[in-house]
Amino acid sequence: MLVTTIGIWIGALLTLAIYSFLYRDNPVYKVAENIFVGVSAGYWAVVLWFDFAWPNLFAPLVQGRIYYLIPILIGIMMFAPLFPKISWLVRIPLTFTMGVAMAVAITQYIQGDIIPQLQGTFLPLRGVTFFTAFSNLLIILGVIFTLIYFYFSKEHKGALGAGAKIGIWFMMVSFGASFGYTIMARVSLLIGRVYYLLHDWLRVVR
Amino acid sequence: MKLLDKLAVLDRRIIYLCVGIAVIVPMLIPLNLPVDITRPVRNVYNKIESLPEGSVVLVSTDYDPGSEAELYPATEAVIEHCFRRNLKIYMMGLWPAGSALGEHALDTIAHVHSKHYGTDFVNAGYRPGGAVMLLSLGRNFNDVIRVDYAGRPIDSLELGRRVKSAKDIALVMTLSAGDPGVIHWVQYFHARFGTPICAATTAIMAPREYPYMNSGQLVGLLGGLKGAAEYETLVHRKGRGLTGMDSQSIVHVLLVLFIILGNVILVYERRKKSAGRAG
Repeated sequence: MLVTTIGIWIGALLTLAIYSFLYRDNPVYKVAENIFVGVSAGYWAVVLWFDFAWPNLFAPLVQGRIYYLIPILIGIMMFAPLFPKISWLVRIPLTFTMGVAMAVAITQYIQGDIIPQLQGTFLPLRGVTFFTAFSNLLIILGVIFTLIYFYFSKEHKGALGAGAKIGIWFMMVSFGASFGYTIMARVSLLIGRVYYLLHDWLRVVR
Repeated sequence: MKLLDKLAVLDRRIIYLCVGIAVIVPMLIPLNLPVDITRPVRNVYNKIESLPEGSVVLVSTDYDPGSEAELYPATEAVIEHCFRRNLKIYMMGLWPAGSALGEHALDTIAHVHSKHYGTDFVNAGYRPGGAVMLLSLGRNFNDVIRVDYAGRPIDSLELGRRVKSAKDIALVMTLSAGDPGVIHWVQYFHARFGTPICAATTAIMAPREYPYMNSGQLVGLLGGLKGAAEYETLVHRKGRGLTGMDSQSIVHVLLVLFIILGNVILVYERRKKSAGRAG
């Protein structure tokens, strides 16, 4: 219980220290900022060792699976550029990483994104309610005009230019929605901190 | 017009103060403003309602304390709903710190519904590897998950033994703050294994996910704190989502007023400058 209380006090004071920057830059803010950077670095060091390196590499090796030396060797090659004579060795882990990443990403991107998203634009305009048809029409036109904007092989003049301009309007609406959601997200974070101060620390909110 | 001249050089700290007051006061004096339920949120609710009792829901806590304000309320509301419907929860996370937050939510809610660890829910903890890991996971859970969050062998738990592959999962609910997250579940897990996916995301991410709902790759979506508040309304549970919505609404009105005022001042100053040049 005492540990929890101390933790809440530390959290509350650090929150206030960070928000003190809104008044002006000050040493209390700097201290809180540096604590955050240090704690984050330490935390990630622990995560990388206990969640990545140990269970996936060193633990199997200790258990006698000698072939796990191969990934260790490939990993060590990443440091080859530090030694000019053998710097070419870095190509081996890089090509391996790129090969695997491309093999996984390309196939899944086509299967999991491009094709389903294309299918998602094949929408009915008849046999549905008026509002559904209107909404579907907007999606279809939005996709077409936005694609026109990104067609750069011909100068945007005439019909192509008009289409590109409409595409810009569709994108503007999209940026506006994103901006609105961004404001909502930032306000939510402030609400979260204020809730912590009023509920967990001061206990004036139920 | 002297007022507009003064407002044009207003100290930005006064705006911060106004926003601060607009957040604090509604928390101290709740207004209980109504929360409308949107279709993406209702889709998540309906999907969980439609699952047969005993089905396994994989809850993936793909966020960290930086997004706790937006996603933790959704985590609690979804867990509450699953336990009320007697669904099993298989929790894991693609972000290291998410598992601790998920564990806290499970601890808070499980004892209220007399749910037991190992039979009604498990927490497999953080699983690194992103996309490649998800592909292995869908084929065979034991390839990826051998121990739970506390280091216990996953096979020593009844629910751990039951879940062998993606076929044993009725629904994936990802609480996602970025990469890896909802995109990976959709593009890799859903595309390869066909498991239905629901998501709760930060508000910033929400517009990017709507196309996946439109294409049917996502069943439903809780966008930010508003999405969590809507879900709390549906499951009749007043949590942090609903508590924060009064503040959110008031601040939004305040910001709209600031934007209008800022534009009025901009137009006024431009006219003043052009009048000055003409004079």
